[in-house]
Amino acid sequence: MGPDGAPGPAVPWRKVLWERQQFPDNYVDRRFLEELRRNEGLRHYRYWAVVKEAGFVGQQLSCVAIFISLWLYMEQGLLSPETLLWSSLLCALLGYGLYQSLTVQVESGCETRTRLADLQSAAIFLSFTFGFSPILKTLTESVSTDTVYAMSAVMLLAHLVSFPYAHPSPPGSLSLNAALFASVCLASRLPGALHTFAMLSCALEVFALWPCLLQRLRENKPTHFTALCVGVCVGGVGGLGSQSPGGAVLLALALGSVTLLCPLLLVRLQRHKDNIQGPWDEAEIHEDLNLLH
Amino acid sequence: MVLKIFFPQCCNRADSGLLVGRWIPGHDSAVVLAVIHYPFIPGQVKQYIQQVQAQSGVELSVLGSWSLPKEGQEGMESFLRDLSTIFPQERWLQIKRKLGKTGFTCQILNRDGKSSQPDSVKKTKKEKQKVEEEEDQLVQDEKEEKEQEEVEEEEEEEEEEEGEKVIFVHYEQRKVMLSQLHPVENGVPDPKTELPSELRQMFQTVAGSQALFFLDRYDDGPLKSTHWQSDGREASIIVELLKQASVPFCMLISWLLSIWTWICNMRIFSLYPLRFLSSKLSTCVQLSYRTEHMRTLSSAKPAAGHTEFMRKANIVVSFLIDVALGMLLMWWLYRDNHISTLANALVPAADHVAKELEELLQWLMGAPAGLKMNRALDQVLGRFFLYHIHLWISYIHLMSPFIEGILWYGGLSACLGLTFALSLLSDMVALLTFHIYCFYVYGARLYCLKIYGLSSLWRLFRGKKWNVLRQRVDSCSYDLDQLFIGTLLFTVLLFLLPTTALYYLVFTLLRLVVVLFQGVLHLSVDFINSFPLFAVGLRVFRSYRLAEGVKFRVLCEEPGTALHLMMEINPLKGSTVVQTYRTPTYSCYPKDSWGALVKKLFVGELIYPWRHKTTKTD
Repeated sequence: MGPDGAPGPAVPWRKVLWERQQFPDNYVDRRFLEELRRNEGLRHYRYWAVVKEAGFVGQQLSCVAIFISLWLYMEQGLLSPETLLWSSLLCALLGYGLYQSLTVQVESGCETRTRLADLQSAAIFLSFTFGFSPILKTLTESVSTDTVYAMSAVMLLAHLVSFPYAHPSPPGSLSLNAALFASVCLASRLPGALHTFAMLSCALEVFALWPCLLQRLRENKPTHFTALCVGVCVGGVGGLGSQSPGGAVLLALALGSVTLLCPLLLVRLQRHKDNIQGPWDEAEIHEDLNLLH
Repeated sequence: MVLKIFFPQCCNRADSGLLVGRWIPGHDSAVVLAVIHYPFIPGQVKQYIQQVQAQSGVELSVLGSWSLPKEGQEGMESFLRDLSTIFPQERWLQIKRKLGKTGFTCQILNRDGKSSQPDSVKKTKKEKQKVEEEEDQLVQDEKEEKEQEEVEEEEEEEEEEEGEKVIFVHYEQRKVMLSQLHPVENGVPDPKTELPSELRQMFQTVAGSQALFFLDRYDDGPLKSTHWQSDGREASIIVELLKQASVPFCMLISWLLSIWTWICNMRIFSLYPLRFLSSKLSTCVQLSYRTEHMRTLSSAKPAAGHTEFMRKANIVVSFLIDVALGMLLMWWLYRDNHISTLANALVPAADHVAKELEELLQWLMGAPAGLKMNRALDQVLGRFFLYHIHLWISYIHLMSPFIEGILWYGGLSACLGLTFALSLLSDMVALLTFHIYCFYVYGARLYCLKIYGLSSLWRLFRGKKWNVLRQRVDSCSYDLDQLFIGTLLFTVLLFLLPTTALYYLVFTLLRLVVVLFQGVLHLSVDFINSFPLFAVGLRVFRSYRLAEGVKFRVLCEEPGTALHLMMEINPLKGSTVVQTYRTPTYSCYPKDSWGALVKKLFVGELIYPWRHKTTKTD
């Protein structure tokens, strides 16, 4: 007695188990799978929006490339530490001013951090770095160069993978620590203590302070944010290209695939999505805190 | 119903007379202690028994009569039966033996006049029977001593009147009297609890009735009795002399002890540094330990109970052996100028050790085993330790003129015992290798700090934190400055780890070597202190004195007579002897298991692998 067989007995079948019916236990009538829902709650991606979001990932990649190219310059003696120090100080001040102006636009009179606290933080950073730089300089003397490079590469990769792209403002512990570890490893290879100090200050700015500014910018001025991302990517490729063309080509390829190819894949592959939902799913409890009050 | 009669071997050939002994309460058995011969006056017998009962505290009574008729003595049957009326008992045993036969016959007269004959022995049943009590082992050897005598068949054995069987268990009276059944029950047994087992009561009875055995055949009293000592009382001159000398000896020891305790309790010695030192130096510990021993020995009361006696004896013997070995050592030391050779060898040896350490440090400061050290830290640590060694060498050179004198007077301490000499040696080794101990502590502390810091900063690296309240790792959002400084410190500590770890490893190994040597010394001191030499000697030479149980052997199994078994004492096993009678001491045993020790070494905790158990706390 299947769903398409001869007409059944007079009493229709009901989908209950507590009643003894004339049908076998595994009988279902025509309404089999009528409660099946396919691809419910599917997000529809639009290509260019995804590309814009992916631009942030590319931007971070280029940041790392800029940092590496700065290090390459310092190591070859093309860039003196004093120049780097002064320029990073200038950039820091500019960035701070920009940050403060953006903050004032959003909420005035509600300063979570006073200027004094910021100054205090900056003083701690600088003094610690300056104090530790002689120690840091000799830290990896006995370790071979290949090991140092390998460690830094792994750490930078960890930084990129664990970066909180959705909300970069409170920096993620692992990503920031990995980036700093890599920068210490690289900075200890430089010829002098001042070089180490300059490199570390630059690393701090690039990896710790820059994402905060980006977050603020993304919130307030999205169009400028996109333009900035593009600018950073171009700068990264250019900077790396002046040192090693091969690296620049690789970076360009990576950027292209991350920002252009991967979103295409994402959008294209959506049509192969085949999720099914039905009453057999586990119940999800959505807590609505407003109901409690 | 089986009636067991414990019959002493010495009375097997005794003349006819009265059986004196004890009925064991709670069990169907009787212990025969002695035979009092004819002629006697019943009143005097009763008086004698009461006297002995008062002296010894054992409930003696007249058990029955014994008849071994010699040629010419006949017609005792009615006389023996009449005796039962003179000594009124619940049961009256009439044991008969004929010369030339091995078996006894026994008739039991109950108070109401009924008599019962023993049943004939059912051989097969007895052979298959295996009775296991708590301590006895019933071992039935295949009739070792079956004498080929005429077997008389008595048909009257077929009739069963009451079905009461009698087993005669023969025992050697002297051995059982001196023996002690293990496990020893100290203290007065509570009468409300179960009565002790039959065997234990039998042993206690025989051991307690020593007053009965003082009457020997040379006494001019009205009574003549047969027991193990009836051929003449044994006495040993040495034992008597020792007993006489022990009282003034004990008094002397207690007087010396009181002076020593007074010196020790002087206020000057309760200052903290001295007290701390005296708890660490093993010589002082050994001294206090021997004082305790002497205190046990010098108590004026004689030893109450077997355990106390054994402990005192063990202490005396181990002390004497100790002193003898010490004297041997002294004799060896003080002849042929050994002391000065030792002293002259000591300072160069210490120098040599210091030079080796210096070379080791120089090697560490270079590139040891091809490992890459952090140069700056390496230099700092190396120079620090080198300076220490330099200080130590100057100290040794300062002390060198006094070494010979110190050794000479130190050797005198061996007259107090070998244990003192060994403890002194251990202390001297500890003092001479004090610098190694210092290095180990520095290295360990540095390493421990580093490991602790690294583990905490590693948690910060991953964005987690240790929750002390819940004793688990939780996630935590750190501030920017915390993250920054944490990462810097983590990097620094990580790269400096190999250097510190290597120094720690080297000094830990050195320290372990010294600890091992000291441990061997302590173990041997402990062994001399605690090994129960007296008990072991007793087990070897007089094994019947320490009994674990008994064995039975079938002596005679003729039909028509009762079953005769020979009870032999099963001595205690050697290992049990040592375990039971070991003097409790500050046993020196490893505090941690291997796993825990390795873990402590890995983390950098200071290790003190040998623990001294004090008698008070544990």
